[in-house]
Amino acid sequence: MTPTPEELYAQREQRFNDIVALKKPDKIPFMPLMMHYFPSRIAGVSNAAVEADHFLMTKYMKEATLKFGFDWAAAVGVPPTKSLEALQVKQIRWPGGDLADDAPFQWVEGEYIEADEVDQFLADPPGFATRTILPRIAAVLQPLSFLQLPPMHWLANGYSTILLAPFLAAPGVKEMFEAMARFAEDAQNYMAAEGAYWGEMAAMGYPQPFVAVGFPAFDLVSDYFRSLRGSTLDMFRQPDKLLAMIDVMLPASINLIIGACKATHTTRAFIPMHRGAGGFMSDEQFEKFYWPCFSALIYACIENGITPMPLFEGDYTPRLKYLATLPPGKVAAHFDKIDRAKFKELCGDVMCFWGNVPPSLLCTGTPEQVKDDVKELIDLFADTGSLILDSCIGIPDESKPENVMALKEAVDEYGVL
Amino acid sequence: MSTELTDAILAMDEDGALKIVKDRLDGGEAPEAVLDDARSAMTTLGEKFACEEVFIPELIMGGEIMKGIAAELKPRITAEHTAEKRGTVVIGTVHGDIHDIGKDVVVMMLEVSGYDVHDLGIDVPVESFVAAIQEHGAQVVGLSGLLTLAFDSMKGTIEGIAAAGLRDRVKIMIGGSPVDEQICTYAGADGWGRDAAAALAMAADWTGGAA
Repeated sequence: MTPTPEELYAQREQRFNDIVALKKPDKIPFMPLMMHYFPSRIAGVSNAAVEADHFLMTKYMKEATLKFGFDWAAAVGVPPTKSLEALQVKQIRWPGGDLADDAPFQWVEGEYIEADEVDQFLADPPGFATRTILPRIAAVLQPLSFLQLPPMHWLANGYSTILLAPFLAAPGVKEMFEAMARFAEDAQNYMAAEGAYWGEMAAMGYPQPFVAVGFPAFDLVSDYFRSLRGSTLDMFRQPDKLLAMIDVMLPASINLIIGACKATHTTRAFIPMHRGAGGFMSDEQFEKFYWPCFSALIYACIENGITPMPLFEGDYTPRLKYLATLPPGKVAAHFDKIDRAKFKELCGDVMCFWGNVPPSLLCTGTPEQVKDDVKELIDLFADTGSLILDSCIGIPDESKPENVMALKEAVDEYGVL
Repeated sequence: MSTELTDAILAMDEDGALKIVKDRLDGGEAPEAVLDDARSAMTTLGEKFACEEVFIPELIMGGEIMKGIAAELKPRITAEHTAEKRGTVVIGTVHGDIHDIGKDVVVMMLEVSGYDVHDLGIDVPVESFVAAIQEHGAQVVGLSGLLTLAFDSMKGTIEGIAAAGLRDRVKIMIGGSPVDEQICTYAGADGWGRDAAAALAMAADWTGGAA
């Protein structure tokens, strides 16, 4: 008898949860973590077009999920760039902005906190973020740089609200609020498209991967504030200040994840990771600067009943010895590049293995090569079944459709345990 | 050769290294000799990176210390004191991709190892690679990319170099997070590398020297 959408939804949730808990599933699932432009590209639609029309983007997301038989509805990886455009955000560039229509959105790393400004940030993180960082990353937020207000509870009466006048009447402030209104309009549209997508997919039996997102504090500091170069020099020139910045940012990710999970009644959190990968630092540096804030985030998720889904971007093979110490059956570990056999040996009884089918194969290989790679993965993990299929970071934009289909067919052919 | 300066650089002792440089200069030592010692330390750092004794932070910090030393020495070096270049490299992030962290580490590694490196930056059009190869007489070309769109950009760049009649004159390496042997074959490159050490090894191999 064909299962109902409700039954399918429950089966898929259960399968994912069983694999994370290291219980052998009935079959290996194909669960892409996220998709960016692959669904629209195969429909012949430009990246810029789906940046501009959120409902068009989710239409193609849905079509791809159904066409390729994913076991859940991949997360939406395309950001609301019209919102970013309204604020003239400089830290991200996008198609339809100053990138070509077929380019993906891309991050612009920089030292948004200078080395000699770290003390000012540490002395007043919210004040520095408001008056210095936000104006630097978004042109229309420039008026925030002269925002000097007393605490709001001093102004919380009809007479004293007039004290807001000098700020609100200053040059650029009105335009800033108008830009924020345009931001809000697009953001509402984006959220409506996403909401409709998730609702529709759930009704057809496809779970949502996650809502909550949080970075390890080191990456927040390095990616967002200090850049690789800046945070690296901090390791040598001002290590205590680097650690202090990490301490300031650690509660951000924890609280954002817990808050998002509570607000949406979801229990999974996506944790993208960058600078802890092999090559980016020595074991000693990893133990001092990265592992403490990363493991604190993982444990905070687990203690709050949330399944952390770290995406280990880069090669984390040198860090497997650390991952092996995490609580068994609690972490959904998604890998980019990794020594599969070494993972099995060191972490096979600690966490499941998710991802790792090379983008190079999906984009430029043949269906036979993809099937061989999937078979190799399934053979390696067939004894425990602790495996979820995906490429390295969701489905690459330039994947050949026949290769994504080959991945699905290989899962169906070899993945029934 | 004094090991005091090289030891300080290898220990990432920035203040100590700069003090040694000043002391040696104040003591009347030729700035060229001091510069040679500092360069020797950077070569050793590159070797240690290649065998995973040090990592990207030490390369970046070492480069920063070297910058400080060079700034100290530059006004005092009257004649052009340049070590013999081991080869000429043209490098850049391929068109469509604006990421530069990996490329910058490779550039630093090649520069400290004595290569004449021409960094064309990010989102580099095919014709810029072709022009730079011709202008500088490069023996080695490095193509970098972080995104999967770079696969086709690398292929197109190598085809463009071939169309300009330059393919036989250069060896081409590719690198970046998603790059592997599959992409090396797809793009028609001569080699690929996972990191800056691999890039240096290829450059050395192709220019007839040791890494």
